[in-house]
Amino acid sequence: MKKLLVWCCAFGISMSAWAAEEAYTIRATELKSRPYGDAQTLATLPARSKVLVLQRRSSWTEIRAGENKGWVKMLSLQLAQGAAQRRAENGLRSLFNVARSGGSGATVTTGVRGLSEEQLKNAQPDPAALRELERYAANRRDAQRFAADGKLRAQRVDYLAGEQ
Amino acid sequence: MRAIILSLAMLLGSNANAFDFGSIDWDKAAKVVQKVKKANAEVSEPQEIELGGGIASSLLGAAPLLDNPPLQNYVNRVGRWIALQTERSDLPWHFGVLDDPDINAFAAPGGYVFITKGLLARMNNEAELAGVLAHEISHVLRKHHLQALQKGARRELMTDLANDAIKSHGGDERLNKLVSAGTELYARGLDKDDEFESDRMGVVLAARAGYDPYGLPAVLQTLQSINPADSNLALMFKTHPGFDKRLELLGPLMSPALDGFEDQPDLDRRFAAVIGIQK
Repeated sequence: MKKLLVWCCAFGISMSAWAAEEAYTIRATELKSRPYGDAQTLATLPARSKVLVLQRRSSWTEIRAGENKGWVKMLSLQLAQGAAQRRAENGLRSLFNVARSGGSGATVTTGVRGLSEEQLKNAQPDPAALRELERYAANRRDAQRFAADGKLRAQRVDYLAGEQ
Repeated sequence: MRAIILSLAMLLGSNANAFDFGSIDWDKAAKVVQKVKKANAEVSEPQEIELGGGIASSLLGAAPLLDNPPLQNYVNRVGRWIALQTERSDLPWHFGVLDDPDINAFAAPGGYVFITKGLLARMNNEAELAGVLAHEISHVLRKHHLQALQKGARRELMTDLANDAIKSHGGDERLNKLVSAGTELYARGLDKDDEFESDRMGVVLAARAGYDPYGLPAVLQTLQSINPADSNLALMFKTHPGFDKRLELLGPLMSPALDGFEDQPDLDRRFAAVIGIQK
């Protein structure tokens, strides 16, 4: 497993690339050779075609459909029920582990708290938690440095007008 | 001001000749103006932050913060960077990950934004996180929760708050009632149109912050694949329009408008390193 991980990192393959998830087309969809509108069309997949998701790149998803491999518009797909479950299990497991080894030894009271309707209606304020939240705040400079580290560049983009 | 009073007085102008200035009851007119002003008074920014802090505290009473400081710092940096691209960049923005398996995210007035561990665990990259935070930030920008409170059963208390009739920091019972009403809103949800508006704004804010704008639709697509009977989604289903509908509305709006931003990064590796994904 470790070897696979190293291999993936070495070749710059995104972690999600090999976690293939099942999906199906919700409308007839052109399969493109590359993730661009003007790329060559390899095939047209009819609605309800079963496919395997390989990776997503912005509005495009790379898929395998039988013999064919190529790119379709992400929003012409619907993931099969449960497709994202394995990812969630991995994510939750790691978040839980990290949280447990986090060290402050805080005890979690279960059973009383939670986000159900009833629990929200009976929620009591927790000022200590609010103060802790405030300690995590990032200031303007933190945020700008963080963005620069990720090569994020601010853009001018107008809001989209609503329709209907 | 005198001109407004004058025209109001003329409108209300009893049977007096409108040009007969001598007969205008200035006191009466001023009172009318005061009344109109009171009913339309807006909650000031400090009041909004105070109320939001109270609601955030209650929400933290329902679900604790995840004990993972590096992750909390990370989410705050992503969120603050997005907030810097907005018309309310100077609010004291706070972001928190809740230690709860439920799949949800929340915003409170004044710049408080929360995401659950359950939702974070289902994401693939930083652009998806950015999309969800940007959606919540948009609720704050548009003051959706404040408006819901102003329309709801506590609207008179909201008027009192706006008119400084409620003393802050004094443990005023009326402020506590507003905080309770604000927290209960999460169980009822906002107007559907507020959710759609935040979707539209969220994808734009993600693009402004330099991310792949398709993070939010990607999360919606993931959630769409979860069994609707999953109890972790119960509150989300009750309080939000369906994922199908949200994607159906977003898709055509995003393309071609945001096509030029498709090559912006999604930062999947930075995200995986912080979440600590072990496969």
